[in-house]
Amino acid sequence: MNTLFRTTESPFLQYLNQPSTSDRRRRISSLPVRIGLGRSTRTGLAKTTTRMMASSSSAATETVGREVLKKGIADFYDESSGIWEDIWGDHMHHGFYNPDVQASISDHRSAQIRMIEESLSFAGVPEDSLKKPKSIVDVGCGIGGSSRYLARKYGAQCQGITLSPVQAQRAQALAAAQGLADKVSFQVADALQQPFPDGQFDLVWSMESGEHMPDKKKFVSELARVAAPGATIIMVTWCHRDLSPSEDSLKPEEEKLLNKICDAYYLPAWCSAADYVKLLQSLSLQDIKAADWSQYVAPFWPAVIRSALTWKGLTSLLRSGWKTMKGALAMPLMIEGYQKDLIKFAIITCRKPK
Amino acid sequence: MRLLTHNMLSCNIKGVTNGFPLRLEVEKFVEKEVDFSAEFLRNIFPKIEWKALVDASRSMGYSQLPDEADSSMLDSDDFLKKFHHALLELHLEEGVLICPETGRRFPVNKGIPNMLLHEDEV
Repeated sequence: MNTLFRTTESPFLQYLNQPSTSDRRRRISSLPVRIGLGRSTRTGLAKTTTRMMASSSSAATETVGREVLKKGIADFYDESSGIWEDIWGDHMHHGFYNPDVQASISDHRSAQIRMIEESLSFAGVPEDSLKKPKSIVDVGCGIGGSSRYLARKYGAQCQGITLSPVQAQRAQALAAAQGLADKVSFQVADALQQPFPDGQFDLVWSMESGEHMPDKKKFVSELARVAAPGATIIMVTWCHRDLSPSEDSLKPEEEKLLNKICDAYYLPAWCSAADYVKLLQSLSLQDIKAADWSQYVAPFWPAVIRSALTWKGLTSLLRSGWKTMKGALAMPLMIEGYQKDLIKFAIITCRKPK
Repeated sequence: MRLLTHNMLSCNIKGVTNGFPLRLEVEKFVEKEVDFSAEFLRNIFPKIEWKALVDASRSMGYSQLPDEADSSMLDSDDFLKKFHHALLELHLEEGVLICPETGRRFPVNKGIPNMLLHEDEV
């Protein structure tokens, strides 16, 4: 497993002292979050972590790094969830579009719903009343858009988990308002330590949350652990391009671009879709399928940018806070990443053996 | 937090083998009316840890559930109504969920449990 991942190191979190090559190799299998110096602009967060770093061992380093990342993610979504919902609604994920189409603003919500349906179809989730999922977990549930949609579609019970207390409250309020309070419930919890016993869920759903996970192996093991025998696991997530056999890592300019994005969106290291497939294989999961859907999401970021540049968008951004604004400023970097074939929008699905 | 949710939550601190069921400490609870579905209750019954449900409902002040239950009782309307009430209509709004093995306390605020672990528990 040690050489399984050849991946970027998040610069948001980097070693204060550069590790030796052998250190790096040993650590790669768990893709640790590392703390470190700020970049050219020092944020409050970087200053805090530098102070915490002053006298830490490397194990403690990783521990503090994880806490900083989790808090960063929670704060980011606590701050920005409202403005997103205001402009885009309750689905915090990419839409699925026909390739090469200029989508109008009214198309986007139906594209986001289509993303859910295409994902379920790709994974082959049964629809008949006997085999359809009855118990679902939404890992990284945001304000519960997917949870409510899936609960309604299948008449199932759905549990959602998020690091953001603001999101969990909002998710619950929306569920109550939509008459779904008896079907969905939300918890503040960590996807790397899901608060559920083994084998609880028929459908394990992770829609654009995988990119936040600092330990991809743990993340995937937890998805597998809470899946019931025969359950379907669906991950839709941002990846970097697969490395070719001769490559040990991405090119320096590619890493540099991803690092800037990591910083703005509280993302730890990226991996490739092929890395996820290997992880699923190592857990003996079956029917593993992966696809690159980058061409189907191309209109999304330009549309988000356009929405941010409206009067409503700009005034909301100015009111919401620095983290949200930083996120907004990073959007062109996402477009650049897609255009350079560096960033991939991937779907990876599989089944837990019976 | 409904008791249906409570019946699914467990403490996942590293090394804990007996993290379920979580004990309830109730500061504030409410009763909410939920549409009754016999079919739903019959389908969910096999997945419910009955003793955990009984103990949890008692800590919310509801003691009408029988100590033990088997599927033959699902034919009784009276039983189904009590099952429905305990499982879906009792909501913990403010309180604490307590790990039976370590005593670790997980807060519940405005009906939302916070199950985040500290880094030394991972």
